[in-house]
Amino acid sequence: MSANVNSSTLDSALRNQKNQGPAKASKWGKIIGKVLAYIVVTLGAIMMALPFVWLILSSFKTLEEISLFPPTFFPKNPTLSNFREVFERIPFARYYMNSIITSVIPTVVTVITCSMAGFGFAKYKFAGRDVLFWVILATMMVPFPATIVPLYVMMAKAGLVNTYAGLIIVGLSSASGIFMMRQFMMTIPDELLDAARIDGASEFRIFNQIVIPLVKPALATQTLFTFTGHWGAYIWPLICVNSDKLRTLPLAIPYFSGQYFSYQNLINAASLMAIAPVLILFLFTQRYFVEGITITGMKG
Amino acid sequence: MSAEATTIPPRNGNERKYKWYRFQKASAPYIFILPGVVFYLMVTIVPMITGFWMSFHNWNIIRPTQPWVGLANYRKLFADPLFWTAMKNTLTYSIGVVPLQMILALLVALLLNTGIKGKKFFRLLYYLPVITPLSIAAVIWTWIYHPNLGIFNQIVKFIGLAPQDWLGDPAWAMFSVILVAIWSGIGYRMVVYLAALQGIPRSYYEAAEIDGAGNWDAFRYITLPLLKPTTLYILVTSVISSFQVFGLVNVLTGGGPLDATQVVVSYIFKRAFGDLQFGLAAAMSFVLFGIILVITLIQWKFLGKEVTYE
Repeated sequence: MSANVNSSTLDSALRNQKNQGPAKASKWGKIIGKVLAYIVVTLGAIMMALPFVWLILSSFKTLEEISLFPPTFFPKNPTLSNFREVFERIPFARYYMNSIITSVIPTVVTVITCSMAGFGFAKYKFAGRDVLFWVILATMMVPFPATIVPLYVMMAKAGLVNTYAGLIIVGLSSASGIFMMRQFMMTIPDELLDAARIDGASEFRIFNQIVIPLVKPALATQTLFTFTGHWGAYIWPLICVNSDKLRTLPLAIPYFSGQYFSYQNLINAASLMAIAPVLILFLFTQRYFVEGITITGMKG
Repeated sequence: MSAEATTIPPRNGNERKYKWYRFQKASAPYIFILPGVVFYLMVTIVPMITGFWMSFHNWNIIRPTQPWVGLANYRKLFADPLFWTAMKNTLTYSIGVVPLQMILALLVALLLNTGIKGKKFFRLLYYLPVITPLSIAAVIWTWIYHPNLGIFNQIVKFIGLAPQDWLGDPAWAMFSVILVAIWSGIGYRMVVYLAALQGIPRSYYEAAEIDGAGNWDAFRYITLPLLKPTTLYILVTSVISSFQVFGLVNVLTGGGPLDATQVVVSYIFKRAFGDLQFGLAAAMSFVLFGIILVITLIQWKFLGKEVTYE
């Protein structure tokens, strides 16, 4: 490549010299390129957002309007009654509560266990540390489906099928969470921790009062990731729960949709209410999602 | 290293205090990692080992004894035509989703990285499907695909194509599932690519421009090679997750029509919780795990060479 340096600089010199034409053309080319970029990105964004837009618009339509052929796009007589009727026809409040319980508890516990484990792996040397860490990273590759059947059998033996405990217990820690926390905590200088040790602080006090305040952004990121994950959890709840009383939203809405397909107006309102918390959460905390992806998505 | 340097015991205090200090110092790392590691391994490694054991038994949760059957489950599996159909469908899904999703994600990331206005807004829109619970997204799409009431056929007609029963027709069902899968996964990969693109120093492009390299050359010789680790990461994780597809299929089609979208995990599910053949289902899980492992290792081997321009 270095041998070409001369010829390529010569090339560009020649090109600049020839005439003003190509320079002008490339300016127009740049503008056209920009316009094209906007068109492509906008079209893509419309396709991404269209299902949401249609969902939102349709959840304000009456049952008559929703059954029209061809379908309408904007609601003719917008109504809020769908949102009320959902609560009357199905135990929607109960499903919502189930979702909150089975998302909030695992999220809180996971953030605690993962930040502790991340600290342990990042800032201490102990026998078997590296082996254990690699085992955890390697199991990230194990497909969840490979474990569900035996997991179900284990839970059935422990009497945890069809209980909140059974839903919660599988989500009390996560490999990616431990990994992310470790990456964050490796950046804390050892000198800082040593200074506290010299002052006589115990390891747990160091963790509580020095480390935790320093990794607040990581905690926020992990809280969001874990919560979003649990809010959408489908496969394990589907296996673990067969009582209607314990159904979470990701189970209840497809079930409802299968049972009452003709009440699409209610299904839409229910779907919108079910995804609203994560959408709103995301709108306000985008920054943390991007940060989290940048940390866990990149190589160490 | 730092731990050695700081073993400055508070000797001026009493001996018991010193003992406690040493104890908490020695035990701290184990106490820190214990809950996270135990909770995690309890729901991964333990079931994996149990599952491996189960796959050699005629395991039925209702019976009191589980007779050992050796490799019978595996033999039965390989002789089962529906297993091969599920395998083929999973492969079709993977090939349909992964490359296109990656290319589109890269394209959007590149375009957003050219200094377009409203980058954050676009990023938000592309990311919305990612955070939407998949089973609920599938419910929304079921209705979008509805032959009469859905908006999809309206769009298709507007473009000038023939409307279809997208989820009800065996010829179109897999295509329809793949489309939703691509829609739901572009955003995540786009953000990963975007983060990687922002990590490429501007000076590389400036140097290339001085050398007279065009946009295409810069992309071909700077961007693409430097994105290789990211591409490998996305490829490996996308293939792994595509082989585990379940929720989307289960809600959109339930594996139908006529097993046209029956994938491995939905078949595992059916055998385990429909027919209560837990041993067979566990064997299938292990075959799936083996396949994923082999594919991942192949990808590492052929694409894993790191590129650095430092």
